[in-house]
Amino acid sequence: MKGLPFTISDTIAGYVGSVDRANQCFTLTTSGGIEYTAYLAPNLFARFTFNLDEPYADATGRIGELLKPGQLIYAYGVFYPKGDETKFEVKSITFPGDGVGVYRQEEPNWWVHQVRSIADSYLKWQFNYFENGGNIDYRDYRTYLNLSGGKNKTDFLQETDTISRLIYGMASAYMMTGEDRFLQAAEAGTEYLREHMRFYDTDEDLIYWYHGIKINGDLEQKLLTSEFGDDLDSIPMYEQIYALAGPIQTYRVTGDPRILNDAEKTISLFDRFYLDRDKGGYFSHLDPLTLDAHAESLQHNRAKKNWNSVGDHAPAYLINLYLATGEEKYLDFLVYTADTIAKYFPDYDESPFVQERFFEDWSKDQGWVWQQNRGVVGHNLKIAWNLLRIHHARPKEEYTTLARKIADLMPAAGSDQQRGGWYDVVERTLGEGDENHRFVWHDRKAWWQQEQAILAYLIMNGSLGDEEYLRHAREASSFYNAFFLDHDDGAVYFNVLANGMPFLLGNERFKGSHSLSMYHSTELCYLAAVYTNLLITKQPMDFYFKPYPKSLKRNILRVSPDILPPGSIKIAQCWINDAEYTNFDADALTVKLPETDEQVRVKVRIAPVG
Amino acid sequence: MTVTMATNGAVTVASLTGEIDASTAPAIQQQLNPLVMPGAKVVLDLADVPYMSSAGLRLLLSIYRQIAGAGGKIALAAVVEDIRDTMSVTGFLKFFVVFDTVAEAVASLAA
Repeated sequence: MKGLPFTISDTIAGYVGSVDRANQCFTLTTSGGIEYTAYLAPNLFARFTFNLDEPYADATGRIGELLKPGQLIYAYGVFYPKGDETKFEVKSITFPGDGVGVYRQEEPNWWVHQVRSIADSYLKWQFNYFENGGNIDYRDYRTYLNLSGGKNKTDFLQETDTISRLIYGMASAYMMTGEDRFLQAAEAGTEYLREHMRFYDTDEDLIYWYHGIKINGDLEQKLLTSEFGDDLDSIPMYEQIYALAGPIQTYRVTGDPRILNDAEKTISLFDRFYLDRDKGGYFSHLDPLTLDAHAESLQHNRAKKNWNSVGDHAPAYLINLYLATGEEKYLDFLVYTADTIAKYFPDYDESPFVQERFFEDWSKDQGWVWQQNRGVVGHNLKIAWNLLRIHHARPKEEYTTLARKIADLMPAAGSDQQRGGWYDVVERTLGEGDENHRFVWHDRKAWWQQEQAILAYLIMNGSLGDEEYLRHAREASSFYNAFFLDHDDGAVYFNVLANGMPFLLGNERFKGSHSLSMYHSTELCYLAAVYTNLLITKQPMDFYFKPYPKSLKRNILRVSPDILPPGSIKIAQCWINDAEYTNFDADALTVKLPETDEQVRVKVRIAPVG
Repeated sequence: MTVTMATNGAVTVASLTGEIDASTAPAIQQQLNPLVMPGAKVVLDLADVPYMSSAGLRLLLSIYRQIAGAGGKIALAAVVEDIRDTMSVTGFLKFFVVFDTVAEAVASLAA
């Protein structure tokens, strides 16, 4: 097709080049290097990116002043056919910050405000917290929440994983704000999981977690095996991993020894039944009766390994468990997962995307259900992100080499260099004559994929210092903060269209579902704040803990916010119950708690070194 | 391990004999699978099951889910004390409808 025979609207994300005020136009160069001339429409309006709970930030009156060379903008407009060419007329502009090189998400408290707002939204939606006297009853929790947080009156499902993800978010919100309602929600949820979702296997002395329960009045139906088609009638590793996410983040705050016991016994399940001692790695599914990964009943999941069964340990709970305990055995476990990924997942002769599914002998499984020979963009980025974290604790050149390889390949293969943002699932190989990896379902952009890109490129820049990584981090984060925040109903959208408009159909319009329950959005808040403040903009940041007395080994609280480059941060100040406290080891990032019989509130100010 | 089926009106009584563990649970599951029908009423008679490992507990959950999912009802009868204790510790006891005798269980489901 030559030219464009019809009008079409779209977004261009790019950096302003030259500005021609006489002709009311400017040049705009995308992340992919394409230059456009953009004409200002007569009724053009503009806004700054604004945070949740902030008022609309109009920039219409300052467009002329703000359009300066080097300014990143999101220009939404209409392409008009003009002979063999098209004219792009801009209808609206979003500025990610007030000035060239200014990004609102780099303000020290940007993510703190955002996590508070998201957590308050879920407190309101799930528990009606602000109108019932601050009571939290997890019997009220429901997996599905509509766009405005309302519950479906015929939905009685409570999934272990999604509750755990909510708990993770609440615990993270407490760590960032110190506001007790969030810890109340995290602890109540952890207790609920222990009481209702936990199966203590007395024969084997290990723990596994139910898929969920169905609430029916005072009765509950326990669902041992997964209810999802991909994993039906099995115990998938993925669900067991995510069952630990919330409780372990809560453990970082409180040191509750019962949570540690649960984690140890769940890891025992992993070691004894999921681990393949012969060929390495972890199986993805177990038969519910025999706990056997080779059972015929598992059908397409029989003796399989995948990204989730190997790679999800680190981000979901294991890094946090290591941070909380400092135990070498958990670092060994992390290194084992990283080594397994580095050994088996790269497949660069075939694709820029890693291979994600395997048979028992690590040969490629490219026929599994929906995945076939397809790549999940975010899983690649998640590998880069977590290899860097593990590298900081136990350096290995192969980790940084693979992380760099991924970070260098992904923008062209998995991001939208025209409009900004990151795609979802794509074919791993190019079709004949194709220039883009085909989209498996759509060209929409999911919130969690953006998170992986932001965190991967932030830590890559913070750790390795390449400015190109910072550019990708800023672009990904600017897109996310411009388009994913739901300023009307609260929290974040599941998906946006390629052009950044929210996609509000089907399950993807929900604020709560099997896939979404304030985990990724709050993980992003927590770690984007940590990486931005402590590694990039070099600002101090406060963290909050509330350990139980005598719950921690030698009464030592570990406060490192993440596995960052060795020596990059220290404790600058500490307070216990709001009184300054000096018994801490600044470099080791530990606080020696006072001997007391009461739960104490610990605030630490972590500062960058140098 | 054997499974013996008997019908009592609209209620099927499945009497299990022997130990239930990871080695026997899959075979028992197979024998019980035909009972999973819309509206089924099933009593599991456990009087002659002296031992049940956690695999047995998982089997009970699986059968329960399938029968309840098909709109049926299931009850346990004559659970020996050791198993009853295990079920109590693991939270299973309050989850199932449990009767002291098969007759009571049949009467309840038939009602």
